[in-house]
Order: sequence, then structure tokens, then C-alpha cells
Amino acid sequence: MKNRLKVLRAERDWTQAELAKELDVSRQTVNAIETGKFDPSLPLAFRIARLFQSPIEAIFTPDEEVY
Amino acid sequence: MEDSKKPFWRRCETTARDRRNQRRIIVWGLAWMVTWLAAGFLIKFDLIPPGMLAAVAATLVPMVLGIGTVLAYRHFLREADELRRKIEVEALALAVGVGLVGGFTYFLLERAAVVSESGVLVMIMLITFTHAVGVVLGQRRYA
Repeated sequence: MKNRLKVLRAERDWTQAELAKELDVSRQTVNAIETGKFDPSLPLAFRIARLFQSPIEAIFTPDEEVY
Repeated sequence: MEDSKKPFWRRCETTARDRRNQRRIIVWGLAWMVTWLAAGFLIKFDLIPPGMLAAVAATLVPMVLGIGTVLAYRHFLREADELRRKIEVEALALAVGVGLVGGFTYFLLERAAVVSESGVLVMIMLITFTHAVGVVLGQRRYA
């Protein structure tokens, strides 16, 4: 799954550590999501969407459309 | 130093909650191991009073602390950062798999009289070691 987390974080001039603190996860988790190594759970995806005040689909997109 | 150039273990950071829960596991685990070693020592050198009751009492204390360690680990897993939980679950799957294959193989080797010692301790060490290796590999993969 692709995501715009790094771009959104950079727009707000936040570090990975600051974003991790806001989301109550480790910095390693933020880094793994940004680099596409790890897909967040649905509750975490919702927390990210709420934090950036964007719909989930504006932040996360599947690698290829399945449906 | 740029983040991607740091060695992977310096990129592995946990939350304060995970560190607190890990400390709890270590305390329970150490207490378990100390009492387990003490019970083994007492039983081996006949330092406990004769009779079933004393033997059961000597084994009961480490067993209770062992259960405490397992519950502390479950608590850690439930509260863990979700990437850390994934790494732990993958490491556990690896350890159980290696333990099962290793256990059945050791059983056959024992039947064939290739090994004579009971493999229980070997299996415990193998599972523990495999879990530790699995966690390191997972941390490296997602760092």
C-alpha cells in the first residue's frame, strides 16, 4: 500500500518522533509506514486520517486497484 | 547522521509503555529463573524434606512465577506498539515452528539411540534462542 505520510508530515514540518508521539506509536512504526514496509491497522489509519484532517483514501492508496 | 545510515539497532525505538512492560517481563522472568534454579538445586542435593508435599511446594513457586511471566508477556503483547506486536508474533511463529520440527526430530534421534539425554532443556533453549533471533531479524527487516 502506498501512502502520503511523509509528504503530509513534511508539510507540517514534523519529525518522525513528533508524529509518533501524536499517534502513540514508536518512531520505528512511523518510519516503517513511510517506507512502505508496514501497513498500519485500520484504527491507526483512522488516527492518522484524523490527525491530518484528511479522508483515509487521500492518504493511503492500494498498490493496484483490485476491485 | 542521516537516519538510513544508522545501524539498524539504533533505528529501533520503542514506546515508553513498551519499555515499561518489557521491564515487567524481565522482573517476572528473573524471579522465575532464580526460583527454578534454586528448586533444581534443592531437589538435586536432597536439601528439601522427604515427601511428596515438599517436592510439590518446591516446584510450585517457580511454576507460579512462570505463569506470572507468561501473563506479563501477554500484557506486553496486548499493549504493544503494533509494529512491535507484529515482530513478536512473527518471532513466536518461527520459534514454535522450529520447536515443533526440532522436538519431533529429537524424539526420533532418541528412539534411534543417537542421543540419550532427554531433550526437554534443549528444546526450551532452542525455542528461546529462535524467538530472540526472530525478534532481531524482525527489527532489522522493519528498521
